Amino acid sequence: MAILGVVGMIIPIISIARKERGSVTFYAAIAFAALFISLVFVLSQVWSENISPAAIFSDDVLVDDTFGSLFAIAMLIVSIFTVIGSLNYIRKQANPAIYFSLILLSSIGMVLVAYSTDLVMLFVAWELMSLPTYILAGFAKKNPASNEAALKYFLFGALSSAIIIYGISLAYGVTGSTNIGEVIQGFATADASLMPLALLSVGLFIAGFGFKMGLVPFHMWLPDTYEGAPTPITTLLAAGTKKAGFAAALRIIVMGAVALNLDWTAALGVIAVMTMIVGNIAAIMQKNLTRMLAYSSIGHAGYILIGLAIAPYTSLGIQGSLLHILNHAVMKGAAFIAATGIIIVLATTHLDKIKGLGRRMPITSLGLVISLFALAGIPPLNGFWSKLILFGAAIDSGSVIWWGPWLAIAGVLTSALSLAYYGWITRKMYFEGEKEKRVKEPKSIIAVMIFAIIFIVGFGVYPEPLIHFAETAVPALNSGLIP
Amino acid sequence: MSNELIEFVLVSVALLGIGIYGLSVKRNAIRMLFAVEIIVNAANLNLIAFARFMPHSGGQTFALFSIAIAAAEVAIGLALIIVAYRMYQNVDIADFRSLKG
Repeated sequence: MAILGVVGMIIPIISIARKERGSVTFYAAIAFAALFISLVFVLSQVWSENISPAAIFSDDVLVDDTFGSLFAIAMLIVSIFTVIGSLNYIRKQANPAIYFSLILLSSIGMVLVAYSTDLVMLFVAWELMSLPTYILAGFAKKNPASNEAALKYFLFGALSSAIIIYGISLAYGVTGSTNIGEVIQGFATADASLMPLALLSVGLFIAGFGFKMGLVPFHMWLPDTYEGAPTPITTLLAAGTKKAGFAAALRIIVMGAVALNLDWTAALGVIAVMTMIVGNIAAIMQKNLTRMLAYSSIGHAGYILIGLAIAPYTSLGIQGSLLHILNHAVMKGAAFIAATGIIIVLATTHLDKIKGLGRRMPITSLGLVISLFALAGIPPLNGFWSKLILFGAAIDSGSVIWWGPWLAIAGVLTSALSLAYYGWITRKMYFEGEKEKRVKEPKSIIAVMIFAIIFIVGFGVYPEPLIHFAETAVPALNSGLIP
Repeated sequence: MSNELIEFVLVSVALLGIGIYGLSVKRNAIRMLFAVEIIVNAANLNLIAFARFMPHSGGQTFALFSIAIAAAEVAIGLALIIVAYRMYQNVDIADFRSLKG
């Protein structure tokens, strides 16, 4: 992993040494190489099973486990998408070296969040992930939309990290440690008089991570930021940093709440249902493809949260969440990169302007449609399997909690709703407009689309390896630590 | 929990409340940045106060980390606010309306 940080810091130095004459392609190639080497390294570790089983706790600050590796794979794939998608997008911008350097620093931050088992490490990694993205969101500094996006994102992001550090300070005060394992053990054995502080701490964690995950009611910054930021950066935010929020939430909130023995699952269930409904209903009313994808990504945070809400009742819950996190990273990443391609060619993603896109940009359109149908959960695409496991687990948990099946019902209904607006986009692209001529599509976008189509269809037809991988990445709840 | 510690925790919870109030009421970007900083400093106060009553000084180390990170955060925030000011001649986020839907 260290390669990401080292290369990320070296790129600006190379740029100064070359008197800032390096081309976008040159810096993108360096960034791509660093990310690709890291991805191959993580994959080879998983492949050779030379890695500890999913452990939430460790005496060290970082743990190299399957749980973190699953997130690392998703995040590195998304970062590679971002770097490739940026190739044609940022040619007009100044400082390409800084741009790619910030992407690398942000991706090492995300990966470290996924691996960290100590609250101090987690917080530092969280900030390493967030700070570059604030700058990246405002990178088009002559563009008012990008500016506004960055400022809103910064204010809410700074609030979320302030809340997280307050939560950490309370957790430290109650338990006297910052190691996640010891904190959770400390919560479980804490004195009754300290309970309010422990509860406040978990509540602040939910709010702080919820901002990054885009859960309702912490989602108001998200559509504006996703629409205004440069679209490749939106890919990084929607498919990357959001997943880091889930990694931290799984390690802290789910485990902490199990330790506190709270009736917290109902609260997460309510947030999940609200998130699914608000995200999908708001998406229907949008007139802009990026904004619609932003709301749909809020809705998907709700689907992933189903698994967290039912975690104590069935192990399938977290397995479904992890699988959906991996799938959603690829699907949503591909959809936003397709939107990037559309912006490069048409300079807009307004839905009225994409009529007949299927004839103008056939490969980009095909990639977009396949990722949209995968997001809606149409078989035999990979999104179908993760939703199947999530909803199946929710129905399964009905034997313990009465509201479990209702999560599945809300999920199925909102998925059907999402099919309506995905289908609407598809109709506009393929069945409206006439006589459009085929235009030249950027090669970088085509490369991402082809990879995404192979991934989505491939793991849709043959999902066993991914399902098995997600199963090995499920951490054991109550792994002998809690008395 | 000893009595002295309770006083520190009360002050820091009050600061948290002031920070959240400031963020939800004010619409000036610089004031909102101040409000966030107040919350961060409330957390630092907590960390240092708790560390005073513990056998090790991990909390104080963490407070140093957090101060350094907050400084980086403020640098980025002020840079973004300056760019926004050049564009809008204003730092009131209620006036930033290029995005809606």
